Amino acid sequence: MLVNNHLGILERSLDAAMLRQRTIANNMANIDTPHFKSKQVVFEDLLQQEISGSSSRNLAAYRTNARHIPFGNSGITSVPRIVSNPDGIVQNSGNDVDMEFEMNEYAKNIIWYGGLTQLTAGYFTKLRSVIEGGGK
Amino acid sequence: MSMFVGMNTSASALTANRLRLDTIAANVANANTTRATQVDGVWQPYRRKMVELSPKASGQSFDNLLQGAIGMISGGSEQGVRVTAIREDNTPFKRVFDPTDPDADAEGYVLKPNVDMMKEMVDLISASRAYEANVTILNGAKSMMMKALEIK
Repeated sequence: MLVNNHLGILERSLDAAMLRQRTIANNMANIDTPHFKSKQVVFEDLLQQEISGSSSRNLAAYRTNARHIPFGNSGITSVPRIVSNPDGIVQNSGNDVDMEFEMNEYAKNIIWYGGLTQLTAGYFTKLRSVIEGGGK
Repeated sequence: MSMFVGMNTSASALTANRLRLDTIAANVANANTTRATQVDGVWQPYRRKMVELSPKASGQSFDNLLQGAIGMISGGSEQGVRVTAIREDNTPFKRVFDPTDPDADAEGYVLKPNVDMMKEMVDLISASRAYEANVTILNGAKSMMMKALEIK
């Protein structure tokens, strides 16, 4: 109960949101760099597949250390992925950073992260309530 | 420290864009400078300067390549942008007929800097907008970290 799947999903979603923030920061930092290709984080779809159990028949592999190579398609290993489209060209310089898209993703990500922190805080509040024996 | 990678990324962009703004300021300030460098005893006008940007690569170490291959860049890999060089614009100088100018040659022509005000203004707006956008992203990273501290 203490470290169940709920907290694990929250934790990895927070990680993914932070990774997305870094990726957006990197894209925006290179908004005028010639030949730079923007990157995006894919996570929610992978998480959805995992929760809906479409991958539960595969070989299970648990990572006990972040440096282990993820393998199998099992419960706890779905990690955010960074993808890039090397063919997209928006600007004449071969750069494909789309400022409007990035700022939209950025705004969504901040709100999403705020929600996740509230959920996580709520999880611990409930846990504390249980430990203290509820209403005294 | 990997926790602040996002903020360092934005900070590198702020530095780079500040340097772009400084370069543009130097170009505009010297738009009429006819005596910038002396070549063989003859004064040459100012040459327009340009900033060359490139992504700050995290190095080609095995660890970084492996992290990239499995779609992760967590860990301490450095990101952002950096200025690799300040290049000079090699377009020819403007040749203006003005016999009264102290730097006019025997035929009455003066060489003027190859600074184009229009180009500088466009670059100025581009650099200052990029600066503003990166400040916004930096503030976002800050507020996310403050929210993470609220989990208790």
